[in-house]
Amino acid sequence: MKSTAQLGRTAVRTLVATGLSLSLALTAGACAKSEDDGGSKDKDKGASGDGGQVVSSPSAGNAKTCTIDQFGAEKLDLKNATVGFSQSEKEANPFRIAETASIKAEAKKRGVKLLTANAQSQFSKQISDVQDLIAKGADLLVIAPLNSDGWGPVLRAASAKKIPIVTIDRKINSKACKDYVSFIGSDFVEQGKRAADQMIEATGGKGEVAILLGAPGNNVTTERTKGFKDRIKAKAPDLKVVFEQTGEFSREKGQSVTEQLIQSNSKISGIYAENDEMGLGAVTALKSAGKKAGDVKIVTVDGTRNAVQGIVDGWIHGVVESNPRFGPLAFQTLDTFTKGEKVAQDIVIQDSAYTEKNAESDLSKAY
Amino acid sequence: MTELTLRRSELDRARVLRLLQDYGVYAGVAVLILVNVVLTPNFVSGENFRTQAVQVAPVMIVALGMALAIGSQGIDLSVGSVMALSTSLLSLYLGYGPWIAVLVAVIGGMVIGLANGSLIAFIGVQPIVATLALMVAGRGLALVLLPQLKDVRDPGMATLGSGSVLGIPYLVLIAVALAIAVAFVVRRTTFGRQLLAIGDSRPAAQLAGLPVRRVLIIVYVVSGALAAVAGVIATARLTASDPTSLGTLMELSAITAVVVGGTPLSGGRVRIGGTVAGAVLIQLLTATLIKHDLPPSWTQIAQAVVIVAAVYAARERGKR
Repeated sequence: MKSTAQLGRTAVRTLVATGLSLSLALTAGACAKSEDDGGSKDKDKGASGDGGQVVSSPSAGNAKTCTIDQFGAEKLDLKNATVGFSQSEKEANPFRIAETASIKAEAKKRGVKLLTANAQSQFSKQISDVQDLIAKGADLLVIAPLNSDGWGPVLRAASAKKIPIVTIDRKINSKACKDYVSFIGSDFVEQGKRAADQMIEATGGKGEVAILLGAPGNNVTTERTKGFKDRIKAKAPDLKVVFEQTGEFSREKGQSVTEQLIQSNSKISGIYAENDEMGLGAVTALKSAGKKAGDVKIVTVDGTRNAVQGIVDGWIHGVVESNPRFGPLAFQTLDTFTKGEKVAQDIVIQDSAYTEKNAESDLSKAY
Repeated sequence: MTELTLRRSELDRARVLRLLQDYGVYAGVAVLILVNVVLTPNFVSGENFRTQAVQVAPVMIVALGMALAIGSQGIDLSVGSVMALSTSLLSLYLGYGPWIAVLVAVIGGMVIGLANGSLIAFIGVQPIVATLALMVAGRGLALVLLPQLKDVRDPGMATLGSGSVLGIPYLVLIAVALAIAVAFVVRRTTFGRQLLAIGDSRPAAQLAGLPVRRVLIIVYVVSGALAAVAGVIATARLTASDPTSLGTLMELSAITAVVVGGTPLSGGRVRIGGTVAGAVLIQLLTATLIKHDLPPSWTQIAQAVVIVAAVYAARERGKR
């Protein structure tokens, strides 16, 4: 049996240890001195202005639309409304950072009260986040869904209160204009096709190429793969996809997989990375294998600043953009809708592309 | 008579399983190398061996610490998060030069280890719970310090990541040196003996007057330091700090390497050679499946088969 004195001492020791870790946390921030980045690239990311989204699809006319009367809600003035924004993933990658920043910047610009929540990649948390936002009095919702499915309970709660919902970057499998109003996002299949066009141009439509797949079971991965392969099959049957392995959207995995690839297959003439990070990982792998810039043509999707810089440096052939700056378009859609005018149910945005022709001049547009 | 033959055959079975547990991992590595030599183009090349060795280095280093924790009848789930914390600290302190930054990163890992060890040794929290808590806290802390991927431009770090001496990459040399050091500590020092005694039976070790708490704390501090070194190495290789994804599921890879290498989860025994071979086995398995462009899900299934086989051999042996 331990005496109380001993127990007390034990507790003190543990407290000291935990205190140490805590002080580490505090001092780590205080006296840190990181490498100089050259530019202040973390600032004004996602701020609107250049790089804002342009609508490509609803060329009026036949596209399905939605009005507030059809939806069954009442008109309101966006300026006096509270908007709830539910983000799916932690703002730890450039896309999410730019997306959230753009929503916040636009809300501020328009003087709209914004409530935000982040689901940290957990779907159950996103469901409760949205319920919380509704409970806190959100009149309108902007959701960046983590999944397409499983939204039944939340949508029922929202439509009972007639809260208009706009989903961004990923679609919800539900009835537009009934369960939600509109979807604003990129066409991932189209992104894959445009990446294929760049790859065909880079390789002359001949040879062997590899695909660094995104995270398995993710619709972005499936659609970017489908678009790429379909277009290759249709336009350049001599270009063979000989290797498809997942890099899980991370730079480190992209690097490891590329290292394995280039050693067992020296004939590879191009690598299609389904996001910029994996493409940058591939660049690191090629560099350390002693290849020169341009030996293997790399085409990626996203449009982050590092990847566009990669084009300027000659290591990346082209980048298809996936524009994360949803703020202006999302609020414009909500504004139009709440005024009683009609909005399109599917708003597909026009993504631009970066090649050696415009990389240097458009570097500032990259996020 | 029949009973005697039965017992003998059971004995043979036990012997086979024991051999399997002790040397199965080396046989597995040999088989995989053979398969690759025959089937994989360019497998027999210095460049390829270097790649495999460099890729396995972080897992191997983490697994060394994990082997110590498991040998003491514990486990360290926080290693992946320590790698993330290490890369965050490294990036934050590179302004002072690479040496200081690496030092800070390793101290950070040791502090997490100290917290693990204190919870386990003084408060008596189960290792799996204590290290789970720090796994969560460590990743959180890493992301508070550095919320997103950041490039590392320091030339010293780049040299560490891709430089080599006599054709052997620095990263591999570091991993091998650490493996030899840990093997020496386990086999030849009092600390090693004490660790194994505690892993065998903590009450008995306590009664025998061994410094149980001190040994346990050192085990977790060392494991934290090793994980931090692995984080530094991974950062140098990637030339970027990525606390979001660095080290995710690393604890599982490390535990697999240790268990496949023949260290029983019940403690009291640490096999460093086996652990190194276990890490190499998983690396070769992954590399083989990637090089032949087989679906990634197969890698996971293949790993599961290897783990079950290893645990089966260990279980039969425990029953004996």
